[in-house]
Amino acid sequence: MAQFRLQGSKVLAVDMTGDAVKARNGCMVAYTGQMNFKKLSGGGNGLRGMVTRRLTGEQMEVMEVQGQGTCFFADRATEVNLVRLNGETLFVEADNLLCTEGSLHTGTSFTGLNGMASGTGLFTTKVDGHGWAALTSKGPAIILRVSQGQPLRVDPGAYVAHTGNLNRALKSGGGWTTLIGEGGGEAMQVEFTGEGLVYVQPSERLTFGGDV
Amino acid sequence: MPFTKINSKLIEAKVFPGQRIFSQRGSMIAYTGEVGFTPNLTGGQGGVMGMIGRRVANEDVPLMTVEGQGSVLFGHGGHHIQIIELNGDTLNVEADRLLAFDGTLRQTTVFLGSQGGVMGMVRGQVSGQGLFTTQLSGQGSVAVMAHGGFVELPITPNQPVHVDPQAYVAHRGQVQNKLSTSVGWRDMVGRGSGEAFQLELSGNGVVYVQASEEKL
Repeated sequence: MAQFRLQGSKVLAVDMTGDAVKARNGCMVAYTGQMNFKKLSGGGNGLRGMVTRRLTGEQMEVMEVQGQGTCFFADRATEVNLVRLNGETLFVEADNLLCTEGSLHTGTSFTGLNGMASGTGLFTTKVDGHGWAALTSKGPAIILRVSQGQPLRVDPGAYVAHTGNLNRALKSGGGWTTLIGEGGGEAMQVEFTGEGLVYVQPSERLTFGGDV
Repeated sequence: MPFTKINSKLIEAKVFPGQRIFSQRGSMIAYTGEVGFTPNLTGGQGGVMGMIGRRVANEDVPLMTVEGQGSVLFGHGGHHIQIIELNGDTLNVEADRLLAFDGTLRQTTVFLGSQGGVMGMVRGQVSGQGLFTTQLSGQGSVAVMAHGGFVELPITPNQPVHVDPQAYVAHRGQVQNKLSTSVGWRDMVGRGSGEAFQLELSGNGVVYVQASEEKL
């Protein structure tokens, strides 16, 4: 079983004993022992995952790292967050997924307009199974709880990932005039309802929604 | 004279008469006292050959000499700074990572192409960091920069460390480095994983790796 641990806040160390993990292409910074790096097609499972990815722009270049020793991963000095999945599903923007245990299943899921506004395409990456996943965020991510009767609105550019039984819907923060006229810069938000956790980063990537 | 850390991105250096510090030109943030900054054409020490070596090697990051009496704050580009104390041992560092160092340290430019034959020659091309590296040795402090902070990985005789050339910052000790590859020929030409080449560091020492694959 691969062991995930943090070395500082920006480097993920994975101890491996002959097993494999999936990681974002090119994110290895160092390793000890014996490691092999192999590119995986698409990143999703199977041909269908690959084709959807081509069509949707939810392209995650993934490699399989297999070996014996410790492998260190980092991505452009972003913070690394560990998420332990026990059978639940994690939805995450492909850009924010750094590494997953080999036992986890990755695929794509359709997000519709929400994805458009968040500037990350119509699809998002889905991870499920039992094991560790590592997410990156620009600045330390905070985890916000969503429960019944307590919906949460998030800036599409600050959204990183979510788990649980959540519905997402695109909401406009202002009226019609705000949309076309002088916007407050916060015209669009993603509203989460249901039960679950949302990971938010203290930074905003450029989005279609943010431009309005 | 040791450097003191103000925070992760700023250091303070004390300057006394008769002693000097070399620093990357333009990295002075503030100073108190009577301190003079003069451009250093030969880039520290190493004489004319050292200078030519650096010119050829792209290791000619302009340095300045800092002399006088007072205290100087150094920082550059918001990068993380690590202070490394040398006690008679040797530090290898890429010139653009070198923020400041004690004038007492001996500075030379080392040709790395001679290590590991053809692969050694390829190293510079792959890492984009040239075939030369700056070597500092003696007694004193060195301030080194990295994007996103440092990880220190020990190198022991039975445990070499492989580092992504872009994430490599510096190493110290009795260490050999060579370019290695962990993929087959097919992967290199075709669908690469983006991890075709690594620097393999073996021997006895420490390697400093940054949490990023970005150049400074």
